[in-house]
Amino acid sequence: MSTNELLSEKGLNHMINIFDGAMGTMLHNAGLPTGTCPELWNIEQAAAVIAIHQSYIASGADIIETNTFGANRIKLSHYGLQDKVSLINTAAVQAARAACLPNTKIAGSVGPTGKLIAPLGDLTFDHAYEVFFEQISALHQAGVDMILIETIIDIQEMRAALLAGKAATDKPIICQMSFGADGRTITGTDPATAAIILEAMGADVIGANCSLGPAQLLPIVEALAKTVSCPISIQPNAGMPKLINKQTIFPMTPEEMGTWASRLALAGASYIGGCCGTTPEHIKAIKEAVKHISAPLLPNLKQKNKVTALTSRSKTIYIGDGCPTAIIGERINPTGRKQLAADIKAGEFVSVKKEALAQLRAGAHILDVNMGVPGIDQSYAMKHAIQELSMLVDAPLVIDTTDAKALEAGLKAYPGRALINSVSAEPERLAEFLPLAKRYGAAILCLPISPSGVPTTALERLHIIRTIIEAALSVGLRPQDLVLDALVLTVAADPKAGSEVLNTLKIYRKHLGYPTTMGLSNISFGLPSRNIINATFCAMALSCGLDAPILNPYDSLMQDTLAASSALLGNDENGRAFSIQYAPTDPNKQIANRFVPQNIVEQIRQAVISGEKEAIIPLVKQALSEGVNSTTITEQGLTAAMNEIGTDFGTGRCFLPQVLLSAETMRAAFITIKEILPAHTVMNLGTIILATVKGDIHDLGKNIVAALLENSGFQVIDLGKDVSTETIVQATLEHNADIVGLCALMTTTMTQIDLTISALKAAGSTARTLVGGAVLTAAYATQAGADAYAENGVEAVNIAKKFLSK
Amino acid sequence: MPTYNPVLNPLNLREIKRYSGLDQYADFPSHLLDQACTEAYLLSHPKATWEIYEYDSTTATILAPEPLTLQAPKVIDYLSHSVQIVVMALTIGAELEMQVSKYFSSGEYTAGLLLDAAGTTAVEIAADQICEFIKNQAAQQGYLTLPRFSPGYGQWDITIQPVILQLANAEQINLVATESCMLVPRKSITAVIGFTANQCESNANYMYRDTTCPQCQQMNCLARKD
Repeated sequence: MSTNELLSEKGLNHMINIFDGAMGTMLHNAGLPTGTCPELWNIEQAAAVIAIHQSYIASGADIIETNTFGANRIKLSHYGLQDKVSLINTAAVQAARAACLPNTKIAGSVGPTGKLIAPLGDLTFDHAYEVFFEQISALHQAGVDMILIETIIDIQEMRAALLAGKAATDKPIICQMSFGADGRTITGTDPATAAIILEAMGADVIGANCSLGPAQLLPIVEALAKTVSCPISIQPNAGMPKLINKQTIFPMTPEEMGTWASRLALAGASYIGGCCGTTPEHIKAIKEAVKHISAPLLPNLKQKNKVTALTSRSKTIYIGDGCPTAIIGERINPTGRKQLAADIKAGEFVSVKKEALAQLRAGAHILDVNMGVPGIDQSYAMKHAIQELSMLVDAPLVIDTTDAKALEAGLKAYPGRALINSVSAEPERLAEFLPLAKRYGAAILCLPISPSGVPTTALERLHIIRTIIEAALSVGLRPQDLVLDALVLTVAADPKAGSEVLNTLKIYRKHLGYPTTMGLSNISFGLPSRNIINATFCAMALSCGLDAPILNPYDSLMQDTLAASSALLGNDENGRAFSIQYAPTDPNKQIANRFVPQNIVEQIRQAVISGEKEAIIPLVKQALSEGVNSTTITEQGLTAAMNEIGTDFGTGRCFLPQVLLSAETMRAAFITIKEILPAHTVMNLGTIILATVKGDIHDLGKNIVAALLENSGFQVIDLGKDVSTETIVQATLEHNADIVGLCALMTTTMTQIDLTISALKAAGSTARTLVGGAVLTAAYATQAGADAYAENGVEAVNIAKKFLSK
Repeated sequence: MPTYNPVLNPLNLREIKRYSGLDQYADFPSHLLDQACTEAYLLSHPKATWEIYEYDSTTATILAPEPLTLQAPKVIDYLSHSVQIVVMALTIGAELEMQVSKYFSSGEYTAGLLLDAAGTTAVEIAADQICEFIKNQAAQQGYLTLPRFSPGYGQWDITIQPVILQLANAEQINLVATESCMLVPRKSITAVIGFTANQCESNANYMYRDTTCPQCQQMNCLARKD
């Protein structure tokens, strides 16, 4: 059955359908007092509501929307009406029905909850689903002709609403998102991505409304027209709003709206109405403008090039013939990885997130997510992994599990269109996984394994994959929901394993045409130097039509192979990206830039200056083994280097992060010397007490000063932050400190500097006082009685040395 | 207003360098900056909350249930054409700053400094995202929004902080102030945003964004632009 036939069966047709305009403005014009629940008028002022509907019908509206935009439990609770959902929605439909002409259709308007769904907000997906289910059920039972879910700013809320709608009614469902001036929803979803997600989930009509005028919505219609095979609905505002005398005015005239309506229709919209600021006159103008325009023919469902789209919240990747190779990173998988498994078991997802970021940096486009740790609640783990990753990366995700509950938890939590890894021909897998894929609009990875076992030949795989495809299409999945796995076995067990996979890819392409994938690394299981086999096999498979390999993106040989393959297969035009990445560097230039002194102490000095904290360790060991005196290393290598760094910092030739890197290098050197020569005496230029004063919780500056002082030969006693005057005085006397360093960042805490210095003097301390902090100045330091003020950590070291050299 | 936990946009390496005191063109291992960036993503958990109030510019009063009359001249000037005002609060949580402390304790000073800078960048980027959200919502009613203005900047005394937190309902995101008016967690921001009706008025106020540094009293701030 074609899409046109499907829609006719559902009561939608392929003419341009005219929606009505704004309800809110009309209600206010009819006397709705500010602060009153608009939906309550369906009961208390039904005649006014009916009159508004009648005015739109008289102006040419084919479809009127019920006055139920905010008639969900959450919105109604603002007025104490949360228990009247059914009553209000029913009254609204009755009012609409009372206004209808014989051919007028009624759309049940379902607006947003006003909250964002976790993890973006604090509303759970399940709660949102329940709220939408309640409202849509009431509208269905009251007799609407269709459901219009509109003005939704977040794709996850739309997913909850659409799922609820599909469960509550068999009427057509129209899904309209709201996009901003940048062409995305406020939470980052572009029109094409939204359309792919929603059409896969079974939306009958997809579109947009509100936020923008027709000029701004035209490109959105165009983007939708390139993406969807269902009708498109558009309801613009009457232009972009202006605030005049504290009133929001939408300035577009009905005539202008009419002009734009015809452009929207020609761009592909077959449902056109108006949102904020539109009136019956605007609808009349729209009706007049499009009366001679036929609705666009919907694209034929059969695609020449079969491609499958996977999406995140904000990004779409297409896989298939003619698309660039899409790399699926396989590393979020606890199998054989103790630490990852332990973290997942403990409910910690930092290592999962690290793997995600690292794989994307290494070139993966899509990420496989497997939470298969024995003995854990996999549903919990999958839900949380998917939520955390969807907040962190914009790559589409593959939900890799054999557990149906974990699969559903992941699909529900994912604000995009996932790929399910995998659906085999085993009856229970088909029975459990296909309905979930259909319900949540996921694509499926078809794995040619049957109850008879693992097929070893390409023809056997083709036969099995056909049964999976047939089963998938029979539950309502579409050709563009399918990705085929070529099933990789190891050549260590079967010498034909590799060639059969290549044959499988070829016959999949020839006979079926769907995108292909496979777990590449399986080919080398049991063999040494697996990376060589994997990379070679990858190149072979790509030339046979592999579209989206699942692999380890970290392997450098694989990265080289993929880069070369991209150039060879024409996906990297003129090999440009390859040239940039692999252009040879001039070896002479490298040598010229790196002068290595002969003298080992000089090498140590350079390593400190350059901040080479790994290189310093073997250098120090070498120096000591060559008999260089540790004091010589310290004075001529380390201290000399830090002095030079300090001078360069003072003259602006180097900067704080470089100074700290040098300090760390020096510290590594000291630790190495101490390990080899425990008796080595570490110089002590003096004892310094450091603290951030009472009430001040910032310690970055103090920590930097502490680091530099310690590595310059001072003994530092760091009292931390928010330290009371009494504690500072006590520590100073107890340790017989030579210097007290005080930090304060804020005007509200700098007065503690004065108090502390006074207390130190009163206690008889002879320690010199040194102060610093972003808000302090030399003048303030002087009036507070400090002995010195340091603008930065390097200056603090210089001042401390001067203090103790006297 | 419900809380909003934005997905963090890509961190600006330029800003990380600025906040760490590193010259944009200095020779510095890029992998250390990348590491700081990655860690900031992993350890930042942005949460925001805000409220919208009517604003009486003639009396410089935020018309909250407990009205607040502003005193700072620069803020009053900033809001002189505003008809509504958003009071917002945002934090990226405490996990990142705890890791900074751990780095300094273990002698990894550079990682600590860079992560701290990345955390500051993350807060600013998250705040930009919140402002964009608010701007979008405001535009639907025809309002234009001014750049955000935070306590402690432009001679707006930091002692206003507790009241601002209350107006923003910051307890929803577990953001509080110490007795000395410092925000806890430290990587946090509060701000007000004026809503105006007029393009010319909002353009005039853009100077508050671009001249923040010259107006700031923190002369030795690593990130100072002037």
